[in-house]
Amino acid sequence: MTTKRIAVMKQLLAFTGIEQDRLQLEWVSAAEGPKFAQAITEFTNLIKALGPSRLKVAA
Amino acid sequence: MNEKVKAKVKELLASGRIKGFWGLRTMQGNIGPFLFSSPDDLDELVVGDRERPGDTRYPLNKLLVNLARCYPEEVFGVLVRGCDERGLKTLYSWNQLNPEKVVPVGIACPQELAEACECLKPFPDEFVAGEKAEGSEFVSVANVESLSLESRLEHWLDQFAKCIKCYGCRDICPVCFCKECTLEKDDFIHTGDLPPENPIFHLTRAVHMAGRCIDCGLCNEACPADIPLRTLYKKVADIIDEEFHYRPGYGDPKEKSPLNILGEAPKH
Ligand code: SF4
Ligand code: SF4
Repeated sequence: MTTKRIAVMKQLLAFTGIEQDRLQLEWVSAAEGPKFAQAITEFTNLIKALGPSRLKVAA
Repeated sequence: MNEKVKAKVKELLASGRIKGFWGLRTMQGNIGPFLFSSPDDLDELVVGDRERPGDTRYPLNKLLVNLARCYPEEVFGVLVRGCDERGLKTLYSWNQLNPEKVVPVGIACPQELAEACECLKPFPDEFVAGEKAEGSEFVSVANVESLSLESRLEHWLDQFAKCIKCYGCRDICPVCFCKECTLEKDDFIHTGDLPPENPIFHLTRAVHMAGRCIDCGLCNEACPADIPLRTLYKKVADIIDEEFHYRPGYGDPKEKSPLNILGEAPKH
């Protein structure tokens, strides 16, 4: 269900002018420390590359 | 149009097929919803074309849900345009109404209304008055999509900033039937702010309508701030169709919304 909701939400974000990459879904269990660290690092790099959200600038 | 509907309702009431009929009626020069219960008392019944076709619409199927909850054993009739029928089917599929207790009396909308609504199906499956008009594309959605990401955000933030949080869009919505509404939960949205958290308030509502919104446009008509809500929800409906091949209210009501069951994964 979450996979479905996220797919819908991403497209809705794009329609309202927000980069859809700012929303990511990753499945990580409590036993997968390295995977979690990697996911977060990748996400952080992605967000840095996108720069501050125009939503934040607008606020 | 009015006479054909009256004749049909008269027959249904006289034969005892229905206990009452949710329709529209003129009252002191205005038009409002009315529950007709006698076959001899239909003089004031109208379909809601005051100055222009369909300029006086009400969420009659929402009123029907409330009535059916009080009288679950009775059968009621209801006036439906294409969108109202989509609403009924969606309410059936979410178990809010029992199709065996509902007798819709359909009317088809004229071309001018279909185009103003950008309506895909401006007629119910069966109707007693009017003629089938051609469906119309979602031009308003394409217009927003022609904008850059930056201009889209600017457009929507400007629109949403006009919101006075009257909840009119939710209250008139025929398929908003939750007992508790997220829009009033402080944990999700700061309830004291005006305009409400922008764009969270509106995106939350849009996501909650996903798989349910039948594109009747009543929210847009009710909005005192003239926010193009219908365009936003039309896009949501397009997304659901692309991802799950589902459009609420157009198919068999036995088919459940993809956001109500696990089912297949999204396409993207
Ligand atoms: S949305 Fe379609 S069916 Fe409903 S009033 Fe508009 S044209 Fe008629
Ligand atoms: S009807 Fe318009 S002003 Fe009222 S809550 Fe909805 S969007 Fe805001």
